[in-house]
Amino acid sequence: MDTNIRIAGEAGQGVQTAGDLLVEAFSAMGLHLLSSQSYMSRVRGGLNWFDVRIGDREVLAPREDVDLLIALHEDALTHLRDTVNPDGLIVYDGEAEGTVALHFDGVAQEVGGQVIMANAVAAGAVFGVLGYDVAELVDYLGSVFAKKGAEVVAANAACARRGAELMAAHAGRLQGPAPGSGPRTSVDGARAVALGACTAGLKLAAAYPMSPSTAVLNAIAGYSEQFGILVEQAEDEIAAINIICGATYAGAPAMLTTSGGGFALMAEGLSLAGMLELPAVILLAMRPGPATGLPTRTGQEDLRFVISAGHGEFPRFVFAPGDVTQAYALTRHALAVAHEYQTPAFILTDQYLVDLHATCAPLEAAPRPIDRGLVAAGADYVRYALTDSGISPRAIPGGDAIVMADSDEHTEDGHVTEDLSVRVQMVDKRLRKEAGMCAAALPPTAYRAEDADTLLVCWGSTYGACREAVDLLRDDGRGTSPRPTVGMLHFGQVWPLNADAVRAAIGRRERVVVIEGNARGQFASVLREIGALTDCETMAKYDGLPFTAREIVRRLSHE
Amino acid sequence: MSDTQMWGAGLRSDGPVKPAWCPGCGNYAIVKAVDRALDEAGLDRRRVVLVSGIGQAAKLPHYVSRPVNFFNGLHGRAVPAATGIKLANHTLEVIITSGDGDMYGEGGNHLLHAIRRNIGLKCFVHNNQIYGLTKGQASPTSDAGTHTKLQAYGVAAQPLNPLALAIAEGASFVARSFTGLPDHLPQTMVAALQQPGFALLDILQPCITFNKLNTFKWYQDRVRPLGDDYDPTDRLRALETALVWGDEIPVGVLYRADRPSYESKLPVLASGPLAAP
Repeated sequence: MDTNIRIAGEAGQGVQTAGDLLVEAFSAMGLHLLSSQSYMSRVRGGLNWFDVRIGDREVLAPREDVDLLIALHEDALTHLRDTVNPDGLIVYDGEAEGTVALHFDGVAQEVGGQVIMANAVAAGAVFGVLGYDVAELVDYLGSVFAKKGAEVVAANAACARRGAELMAAHAGRLQGPAPGSGPRTSVDGARAVALGACTAGLKLAAAYPMSPSTAVLNAIAGYSEQFGILVEQAEDEIAAINIICGATYAGAPAMLTTSGGGFALMAEGLSLAGMLELPAVILLAMRPGPATGLPTRTGQEDLRFVISAGHGEFPRFVFAPGDVTQAYALTRHALAVAHEYQTPAFILTDQYLVDLHATCAPLEAAPRPIDRGLVAAGADYVRYALTDSGISPRAIPGGDAIVMADSDEHTEDGHVTEDLSVRVQMVDKRLRKEAGMCAAALPPTAYRAEDADTLLVCWGSTYGACREAVDLLRDDGRGTSPRPTVGMLHFGQVWPLNADAVRAAIGRRERVVVIEGNARGQFASVLREIGALTDCETMAKYDGLPFTAREIVRRLSHE
Repeated sequence: MSDTQMWGAGLRSDGPVKPAWCPGCGNYAIVKAVDRALDEAGLDRRRVVLVSGIGQAAKLPHYVSRPVNFFNGLHGRAVPAATGIKLANHTLEVIITSGDGDMYGEGGNHLLHAIRRNIGLKCFVHNNQIYGLTKGQASPTSDAGTHTKLQAYGVAAQPLNPLALAIAEGASFVARSFTGLPDHLPQTMVAALQQPGFALLDILQPCITFNKLNTFKWYQDRVRPLGDDYDPTDRLRALETALVWGDEIPVGVLYRADRPSYESKLPVLASGPLAAP
């Protein structure tokens, strides 16, 4: 069983802080959880909410319906009360029919002496309603506020306890899932990417801040001392990618973080990385566009852009993690293969995955640097030697080899050339890498797909919602009759693809539905283009919100 | 054999490469000065990286007398590329050698921020007050009123003053030289190389093909080396000197300040270069 808790209020009211408290306390109790956020592009005011979905088994995606709504102001109640289940509960900072009153600010002021502790009151109230022992929350508050001194710890603890006490009359109205079976560790998507990069040997990160990618940059900065990483705030996006190009030429594993509009400015720099054969790694956290679009919402609209960005033709990798564990592993993999093939690699994720928080097995934090593929060479070194694999021995400046790199078409030793036969040789050399890249492409992950007549195909962060939809359809048979035999394929690597392997994985099915967060079915068109898929339906979503499992189930049966 | 094929055959790192510059171009004096400055500063070319953008000036790294590491990147983007190289391995000597369009036009924003950082890059700008490679449009330093095919009514904007800009921003080394001064130019380059932070050296040069106004003789008649009594640490006087342009054009080290380099202030670099194994 699982319970969905939604804390909603204005930006600046502590919605996120209260949510974070619950996430950490619940995860320490061994509950499975996944949190997600909906927030507006503003610093104060508006209507933001933070969902924490807890379960006694793995929780993979957000839910649209709510069991417990904590409404910190009137707008939150007005706009969100319809999302609450008939047997759910609303705790409201005011008096309204069908709600339980709790004056968060007043209680915080009275018990803790500060309005800012309203989030501890709210977290305590959640514990009270769900019948959990508030001591677990108090323990967690003790560890969070230890640095601020005993008084702050005591005041927050008192607020949490009072929040729970005031809800004592309603305890048990909602049954919280049984704690204990979860992994007791959790991570957000941004930190999972950052830790993957840091353990892989990242040495330099550069970026111009842009939502929602900034969360990843902040996370890398948080690890920078531990791993010896330089984080450089560039003057603009163009500087950021050229800094990465310079740094990788000089031998430091480097990546940048950006989002759609920022990456649009970097197309020329990406092309430079392609020409100079640099292992530039680009984390692109998608948000809906075009232009400024919906800056704080989610979507999967930049796939075709990323696959084809940059003038001229050159190989690149695009990875799209499905959950926090994949975010960690695929970021490590992106750094590794960018260096192995000496060509740019993308981690294409989105606001939803970057901002979500989920329980998972602990991520390995010990450094395990990837092989940079460097050679020691002498005075006769040439940077762009023609090879069968297309991969040239890579030396970096500072040793005996002289390393010459030019954005013009160049000879093997890196000088400008207008010899058109050399030009053809160099294009062929660069594109020859694609054979190796395709052969080594990560296959899609199949889930209950073997006997499936209906195959859901997804990529990136739609993984969790799709997988849960498969379970709902197979095990509950909700909304459909007869119950379909549904399975899924998830793509963590979306470019390049091995067409034969993909075709084999899709196989022969009655129905194939490609589910993705854009209007045009971008991944479906990629699959058709490489000849891996001929006939399919697409399920598009582009309202700025992530897919939920029930939405997929509903649309599968009605469309 | 076509001309382009000959070019391909002629390009070798271990021998002199035939430049794509016009006979008589000021760039020849600059490449000679770079060669001489690298030697006089006692630099091992394996530990030097020349970085350039795009344009005629940006081809310089190909034409030095003995091979040196280089990164010839994108138009206007020499500064951020050089910044990445210097941050990845701050033990390398990273020298930008590029043109006025590259540095003051397309790359103007990057220049401002390199000065703010005071990162230890040496920036040699070939300033011929015209766009040569695109065949003669105005540059950010073209004198007001200059007529070109594109600026048919004359340049309506006033020219950028790179020296005054750099001094006002607090650059740690700001100098000007001229391709007609065969000793002054390499000596000023060596002085720039000895500065720990960001060094801007603006180099006046003629474009014999497209700039009929600021000719070799025009510069020669006007450049005046700063005297021994000039104090380059006096910022206000330096700014005043930088504003002098006309019948007289001062050349030399206009401004110098003791500021620690950006890289010396980054704790993560204290234990060695990021690019080290």
